[in-house]
Amino acid sequence: METIYQYAWLIPVLPLAAATIIGLGLISFSKWTSNLRQISAGFVVFMIGAAMTLSFGLLWSQLNGHAPYTQMIEWAAAGDFHLNMGYTIDNLTALMLVIVTTVAFLVMVYTDGYMAHDPGYVRFYAYLSLFSSSMLGLVISPNLVQIYVFWELVGMCSYLLIGFWYDRKAAADACQKAFVVNRVGDFGLLLGILGLYWATRSFDFEVIGDRLQDLVQSGALSGGVAALLAILVFLGPVAKSAQFPLHVWLPDAMEGPTPISALIHAATMVAAGVFLIARMFPVFENIPTAMTVIAWTGGVTAFLGATIAITQMDIKKGLAYSTMSQLGYMVMAMGVGGYSAGLFHLMTHAYFKAMMFLGSGSVIHGMESVVGHNAAYAQDMRLMGGLRKYMPITASTFFIGVLAISGIPPFAGFWSKDEILGLTFAANPALWLVGWLTAGITAFYMFRMYFLTFEGEFRGKDKVVLNQIDAEQLKAVGLNFGPGAMNPKELIMDIAPGTQDDHNHDAHAHASTPHESPWTMALPLVILAIPSALIGLVGTPFNNYFEAFIHAPGEVVETLEPGFHALPKEELTEFLVMGGSSVGIGLIGLTLASLMYFSRKIDPAAIADRIPVLYNLSKNKWYIDDIYYNVFVLSSRRLARQVLEVDSKVVDGVVNLTGLVTLLTGETLKYLENGRAQFYALVVFAAVLGLVIFSGVTS
Amino acid sequence: MLTENFPWLSFIILFPIAASLLIPFIPDKDGKTIRWYALIVGLIDFAVIVYMFGSFYDFSSSELQLVESYSWISQIDLRWSVGVDGISMPLVILTGFITTLAVLASWPVTLKPRLFFFLLLVMYGGQIAVFAVQDMLLFFLTWELELIPIYLLLSIWGGKKRQYAATKFILYTAGSSLFILVAALAMAFYGDTVTFDMRSLAAKDMALNFQLWMYAAFLIAYAVKLPIIPLHTWLPDAHGEATAPVHMLLAGILLKMGGYALIRMNVEMLPGAHAVFAPVLVVLGTVNIIYAALTSFAQRNLKRKIAYSSISHMGFVIIGISSFTDLGLSGAMLQMVSHGLIGASLFFLVGATYDRTHTLMLDEMGGVGQKMKKIFAMFTACSMASLALPGMSGFVAELMVFVGFATSDAYSVPFRVIVVFLAAVGLILTPIYLLSNLREIFFGPENKELTAHEELVDAEPREVFIIACLLVPIIGIGFYPKILTQIYDAKTVALTARLRDQRPGLGEQVVSESMAQLFDAKPLQAPAIAAGRSL
Repeated sequence: METIYQYAWLIPVLPLAAATIIGLGLISFSKWTSNLRQISAGFVVFMIGAAMTLSFGLLWSQLNGHAPYTQMIEWAAAGDFHLNMGYTIDNLTALMLVIVTTVAFLVMVYTDGYMAHDPGYVRFYAYLSLFSSSMLGLVISPNLVQIYVFWELVGMCSYLLIGFWYDRKAAADACQKAFVVNRVGDFGLLLGILGLYWATRSFDFEVIGDRLQDLVQSGALSGGVAALLAILVFLGPVAKSAQFPLHVWLPDAMEGPTPISALIHAATMVAAGVFLIARMFPVFENIPTAMTVIAWTGGVTAFLGATIAITQMDIKKGLAYSTMSQLGYMVMAMGVGGYSAGLFHLMTHAYFKAMMFLGSGSVIHGMESVVGHNAAYAQDMRLMGGLRKYMPITASTFFIGVLAISGIPPFAGFWSKDEILGLTFAANPALWLVGWLTAGITAFYMFRMYFLTFEGEFRGKDKVVLNQIDAEQLKAVGLNFGPGAMNPKELIMDIAPGTQDDHNHDAHAHASTPHESPWTMALPLVILAIPSALIGLVGTPFNNYFEAFIHAPGEVVETLEPGFHALPKEELTEFLVMGGSSVGIGLIGLTLASLMYFSRKIDPAAIADRIPVLYNLSKNKWYIDDIYYNVFVLSSRRLARQVLEVDSKVVDGVVNLTGLVTLLTGETLKYLENGRAQFYALVVFAAVLGLVIFSGVTS
Repeated sequence: MLTENFPWLSFIILFPIAASLLIPFIPDKDGKTIRWYALIVGLIDFAVIVYMFGSFYDFSSSELQLVESYSWISQIDLRWSVGVDGISMPLVILTGFITTLAVLASWPVTLKPRLFFFLLLVMYGGQIAVFAVQDMLLFFLTWELELIPIYLLLSIWGGKKRQYAATKFILYTAGSSLFILVAALAMAFYGDTVTFDMRSLAAKDMALNFQLWMYAAFLIAYAVKLPIIPLHTWLPDAHGEATAPVHMLLAGILLKMGGYALIRMNVEMLPGAHAVFAPVLVVLGTVNIIYAALTSFAQRNLKRKIAYSSISHMGFVIIGISSFTDLGLSGAMLQMVSHGLIGASLFFLVGATYDRTHTLMLDEMGGVGQKMKKIFAMFTACSMASLALPGMSGFVAELMVFVGFATSDAYSVPFRVIVVFLAAVGLILTPIYLLSNLREIFFGPENKELTAHEELVDAEPREVFIIACLLVPIIGIGFYPKILTQIYDAKTVALTARLRDQRPGLGEQVVSESMAQLFDAKPLQAPAIAAGRSL
């Protein structure tokens, strides 16, 4: 088995090679390469498939108890400083490799159908491949610096993919927002890395953990500083995993094509934050303050995301807030010390959320045939309804996802969420309450989404709703321009027909009902439905294979014989109480959603009118984006303008003036005004003359 | 003939200059022969540079190598004395590389091509001379002489305000360089012996008070060149008016002269004063990073925006130089080379964009990415390099400076915390202005106003080739920085050791034990050459 470890570096390199070859082709022979659509796609899929095979091999070997394997080369050196890079394969890495490669593989197959009509088809595959490579590089990183390297690279790929349709203004804004917000997190991460290196002289996770503990215990480093450093590092995951207060980029990132929303913004990249917390666990677990901060950040994010998701009408935005909320669960789990619980949820969530995003893409694809290529129409749930009749595969797989995320046993999400809530209850009942309420809200908004989209009557041709959406779009744009900036009629021309480049395939927009997506899109949905339904069974409390495989470094987990293990009585009671309560609140949410959106016994609008403050708070995303815009964006622009003012008026003026006064008095000014080289020649001549005289006098 | 005794350095300096003198005699009807001639001369010189270092330079030595010294004007003891060591060798290679590409970038020049290429070739030799000469007087002369071609290139081929920009450039740099002359003379006549030789000057034992004065004088001169705020205002004007090839030289090489001279003179010759001045430099470097990033963000003129970004990046060089660690100094060197490549590529792309849009105002652009896909892609790649994306050279350099400074024992912990924090704020500001820039130029729906009167053709193969040439080393160094750092490491380590000796209270550098090397750093093999071959 050693051979497979020696060649494990191929896992990120294969997709990188594919991306490089296609990228070079696009730059050098753009026409020709753009036309090689199926070949390029096949090549990329083949490469990721090869990486997936290797990953499965590694996972198998790790499951069989192979020791962790690390291979390093010296990467940078200066004097006595040496920094090594390489790869390490342990249980966690092997698991992450399999998650990333399988989701990436299926998303790439799906992309063929979804992007079939897009002129940027080949470029999209190149980006996808580049992203996969960076993400795989991230999970095999053996030290903090290498993590940081790939951390930023996945951020860059995310930037490129969010801005993929670069002719859309919203996409242009969103990709920049994503990059800059992530840089704020990276800023903290970098400071944290530097601080930890300063304190411990190491970039190695376990070494940092051990030494930091020694330093704090011996009093060489105050506990406050250690906590500060840990929290700075945690800022990285806060941005990457869309935790409050740096979550604002994720919903906007939905401007990218849907396959990347599934791959990057649901399954893999956003989970990298949780992965980093897991890697840094040896450091964090000894710092109670940091753990508390992490737990509460996660809890608040879970709640915040869920409360915003309940009023979203854009199907992808709804899923995005749901992702944010679920990431909050994972982070909360890490914060209460639930290492394997958090990673378990990461795994189950990766599969069911990727499936749901791909499902929403399938819905959008179907809707586009009715309402045309306009994201504002095709993604709005008010125009959907009854799609189960037209898209049975999408509907049933999506329904499995809804059951999984709502925590209905025996679907995947139940087991992982239950484990998290159980651990949280033991650690902090107040936090548990937040998580428990969130579970109810989750069931509510997910079933709301399902009912609005797939049940009832199809509303795709509803003129009232269409006009309402137009009006909302205008209002949103109008806000950006300020009042009275433009005649609203002009704006309709600009934005209502969607983006102009889409007109070439607007021909699709004349069907009266949506259709099921092609098999390249449906097959990945079906395949993903299997783990979404069943993978939770590897982590049941009766025999937690998952925890036996993935547990915090240094933690001893008793290895269990395969098979069902009856729990001791008190543990079984606890499981039943915890599981029962979370299923209970889930069922309440489900019932409420079905009353409001399925049987229509309760009018949602009436509730919204009853509590306008809460409704608007949720609808406007707690006003966080507006606050950031006013506080950070506007003030930084103002500051920059002021500095430039100072630079061009004050600094330039003063230095010019000093220069004039000291260098050029009297006659010389004349030469300055001419602005000719004579003046310069004069200066040099005078200098040389002075030199000669000087040397003559002194020698 | 091609042995180590051949005067290689003199050859690479004088060959382009001599070749430039033939330009007036070349028959050239359609204006195309000259550019080929210049390109071939550039390529030959670059090939010789690479061959010379590959064959006769010992990368594991910190000594001055390939030394030549001839008496030139004995009355004033002016000697033609050249040599290279770890801090000049990478910059000589960079000069050959960038200048050759600048010749290729000058392909579309139609106004007075003879004079243009003549000046470029003169610049070629002049720039190498600045990095190679080892005599203070000669250094001053080459420093001054290399200004004349740039002045002419600015004032004849520049934009609308070229006269103003060129005059300002010459006044600032020539005016400030008088300080070099004064300090050089003072140092030469200090003590018992009169010498202009840099190594002898460095060996002189100078009183601290005297050192401080000299240091201040040099600092003014090099602060203008580098530039250090507040002596930077010539740069946006000059960069705002220059054409793309001149731009590449200004950003790629001329700014590096400031950094090089700062290391060569202030750090190497005046280590005592450096210990006193270093905290000031660190503060100035931090100001550079933040202040220039903010001004760049507010700029609406594309060229000036990128010009300010250069100033911002030079801040890391200043901090690295003042870190008193191997890593920091090595990072400063790396940042100079890296910015040389990245700055040149960005400015070239700015020029290429301008050639098509004929406007530099961001408000008039937007949506050009639809027509100029390749330029868009290359601009994105180079912007990413500039914002220190890992996998590209800028990141490694900034990381080394960060780690070097953060672990430096020469400064108190609060000082380091504040500086690192503020410099890291620059990491947030850089993507803000660079990505806004990309968004405003390329993103968005097709720009009807612009396409109505400008034909936005995509990049031609020549342009792609130039950017590819620049991106290969940028990414190569980013992937495996040792490729570059190991060729100058011996020198920066020796220099840091010397600096630390001069600064009381600094013990042995504490290095990482945990990063214990798995592989010994194998120095590049090179024929052992006795340094110091005087003729």
